[in-house]
Amino acid sequence: MSSEPIERRVSYVGDRLKGSKCTLCGKEYFRLKDYCGTCGRKSFDKMADINFFYEKGKLEVCTFVKKPTNKFVKLGSYIYGLVSFHDGKVRVPSRLTDCVLDDSEINLSEFEGRDVVPRFRRRYTVEQSEVIPTISLTFTFADEYYPHQEYKIVKPKREYETPGIVGYGVYVSRFRIKEPMMERAVPFIDEDAITAAVEAGKLALIHAGIDQTSIGKVYVGSESNPYAVKPIASKVAQVLKLGEEDKTDRLQSVDAVDTEFACKAATSMFKDATALVHYPGTPTPHAMVIGTDNSQAAPRTEIGGELDFFVGYGSCAFIFGKRDVIAEIEGWHSLTSDTPDFWRRDLQPYPRHAGRFTGAPAYFKHITKAAQKLMEKLGLHTSDIDYFVSHQPNVNFPTRVARALGFKEDQYMQGLQVVNFGNTYSGASPIGLAAVLDKAKPEQRILLVSYGSGAGSDAYSLITTGQIKEKRKRQKFNVQHQAEDEHIEYVDYETYRKLKLGL
Amino acid sequence: MSQICPVIIGIGRTKFGEHYEREPEKLIEEAWLKASVSAGIERKNLEAAYISDYFLQITNKIGIEEGFISELTELHIPMEKTRSFSSALQNACNAIQAGKYDIVLVGGMEKMTDRWEKIRDDLMLLEDPWSYYAGCTPEANHELMLREYINKYDLHEENLNKVNVALGQISVKNHRHATKNEYAQFPKEIKLEQVLAERKKGKKPLGLLDFAPVSDGAAALVLASPQVARHHTSEFICVAGSASATDYITFPAREDRTSFIASRIAMQNALKKVNIQQNDIQIAELYDQSTLLEMIALEDLGFSKRGEAWRDIYDSCRDYKGFYMINGRELFVNTNGGLKADGNPLGATGGAQIFEVVKQLRGEAGNRQVKTSKELQFGCVSELEGFGTKAYVHILGRS
Repeated sequence: MSSEPIERRVSYVGDRLKGSKCTLCGKEYFRLKDYCGTCGRKSFDKMADINFFYEKGKLEVCTFVKKPTNKFVKLGSYIYGLVSFHDGKVRVPSRLTDCVLDDSEINLSEFEGRDVVPRFRRRYTVEQSEVIPTISLTFTFADEYYPHQEYKIVKPKREYETPGIVGYGVYVSRFRIKEPMMERAVPFIDEDAITAAVEAGKLALIHAGIDQTSIGKVYVGSESNPYAVKPIASKVAQVLKLGEEDKTDRLQSVDAVDTEFACKAATSMFKDATALVHYPGTPTPHAMVIGTDNSQAAPRTEIGGELDFFVGYGSCAFIFGKRDVIAEIEGWHSLTSDTPDFWRRDLQPYPRHAGRFTGAPAYFKHITKAAQKLMEKLGLHTSDIDYFVSHQPNVNFPTRVARALGFKEDQYMQGLQVVNFGNTYSGASPIGLAAVLDKAKPEQRILLVSYGSGAGSDAYSLITTGQIKEKRKRQKFNVQHQAEDEHIEYVDYETYRKLKLGL
Repeated sequence: MSQICPVIIGIGRTKFGEHYEREPEKLIEEAWLKASVSAGIERKNLEAAYISDYFLQITNKIGIEEGFISELTELHIPMEKTRSFSSALQNACNAIQAGKYDIVLVGGMEKMTDRWEKIRDDLMLLEDPWSYYAGCTPEANHELMLREYINKYDLHEENLNKVNVALGQISVKNHRHATKNEYAQFPKEIKLEQVLAERKKGKKPLGLLDFAPVSDGAAALVLASPQVARHHTSEFICVAGSASATDYITFPAREDRTSFIASRIAMQNALKKVNIQQNDIQIAELYDQSTLLEMIALEDLGFSKRGEAWRDIYDSCRDYKGFYMINGRELFVNTNGGLKADGNPLGATGGAQIFEVVKQLRGEAGNRQVKTSKELQFGCVSELEGFGTKAYVHILGRS
């Protein structure tokens, strides 16, 4: 049985790799320390909080673990070692993740001495009813799929009248499975919707270059939260230290909430975030919206298994604000109807699907209408729009709806990322938008239309600003990198099912 | 020797291994009976008892060990429980030296095979929790220490090969020693090729045959003040020096990860108490939880130069004569087979180490009695708790 107070304390320190630094002599510690062993009592109140979560470490020595202890058995074999930070000032124990070790020889000296990046992951297996243990004492190599990127706070240059996106991040795992029409992202066994949300949020902060304490609210949209009750957003807020932190009581001054509306759980909140940062009463400089899913599907042989050809894994985070905006929100239009095209009842592991009725009366009707209404409202024609992005459960639907609305390939292809990552549910149309923002020039108009079963659509018109180009340099881990990186690893169907189910 | 030296007047142990049909109390009973017979004392002579075990609370749901021993012996004397046997012995020595008691029972036991499926998880209680959270195993830190050692001393190609062979030879040597030990868990010879093959099979720096096993067993001794001891024995084997030291539980946070500072300090302090040099020690029972740890102990206790123990081992084992040849001196190490082959029931392990040195010093070790060029005078026992978190050194001498 796990202990809730222990989980609280371990994750508080371990998720962020919190440490302490003596401001008198510079000695550093992993974990919180009230005084420095060298300076003694004069260092009381002189210890500064440090976090290694955004830092680059070095794998000093390692070994191969073939027979883990009981809670780690599902991880199979792995590399375990010591990671140092700040030129050896601090050393932490660490497990190499995102690595499926085959039967080949292992030369430990090939791993040692390499730069590594801490990753936020599930710690080990517990009972289904227990609190999910997490930690960031896991790492991947900086010269592989996930590069180390400095999180640097940049002084804002410009304030805009219309709020919009100030930064974003996409996180898709390193593993893929190949299907006839597309590739799908597969989580590693220690990943889930929570870990992906944190990753995307972290990448968005790096891209935005804003102080994370300026975020007043975080919304996390998902339909695959491993908890029925317990928000993902509170984990994101703590790991990313959003809002001012009260160190005595370990509280973050931020509002955090999970939202659910099938695949539009995140896009629905774009307008709320936009409105919030505009509200003059209680200034909220920034709001973060994350769409994250370890998209669920029954195995192919079971009812609902038709989804198992399309589902992906990934997350996308957007930060909204008024300073150094890269894309202003020009307007929106949302539509809702009570259409039962896709659902998952409480306690059911996999969603069900209304077959052919998910098309015409559901996906197509809502997206088309929402797009048309917004264009009408803003007086726009398809020729006024540079990029069109819609929800993408497969390749066929978004292509057909784009054509039906009168868009051409060069308008909708850039936003069609389902071919690379599969249907990432709440993350699907946001990742499409991110892919467009990765390429768009200043002063271009983007039409985003999400779709969530149940059912509804949110249509947004965004106009890029002149600042989009300079911020782009801060994000090496962009959509194209994640789609094409040479370190992507392909797995077979059996491995995919195992990884998907997680620890 | 300015202090009173407590005297070991009797000692006993069980065979180490798997005792499927026996409760831990039955094991300590056997060890205690053997020790009391050899000491020529009875229960009523005992004034106190120090009992060691690590995991009986977990493996056997035995909480207040003292109560079980009280019930077993039908005694109501003061008893205290420690983790390691060395710790129990040190506490007993302190009490005798303080003049509090004259005859004390020191006993240790462990029943690790009773929780076979979970014992490796239980062993992680001896490491820091953060290493556990990161996926550490009971073997991993040994292997990381070896990697640190290889990197620190820049060992590659021929020298690296010699290190790997030397570590294998430790296992081979200890198994050979165990063939003469009636109590040993694995009294059988193994070949160097087997040790190396196990490493290859596991794709690991250290393999199955580099590590001490999981064992059940018990050991006990009767400790007496010199004035009382003379009524029971004419051959005085005394605890001439007893010292311990501690280190951070978190292995990654330690400054030097190629040695155990606690062992180094404990040895220096123990030698100071006896006022001898390590070269005066002719026989040593070292804590070879892994082959690496025997090698590291040779350095930590000052027998070999740091970064050089593997050479001493390698050269000595090319034509092994029963002892290591270090700087022109003979050093008999782990003549009972060490933890590797004698067995490692944690709470009793130190007792078996003491047992061996006592038997050797008394000349009662039978066909494994060491033949030294100079009369055997001093032997030492080093025991660790956790991965070098605590270290104990006991120097035993004939007087």
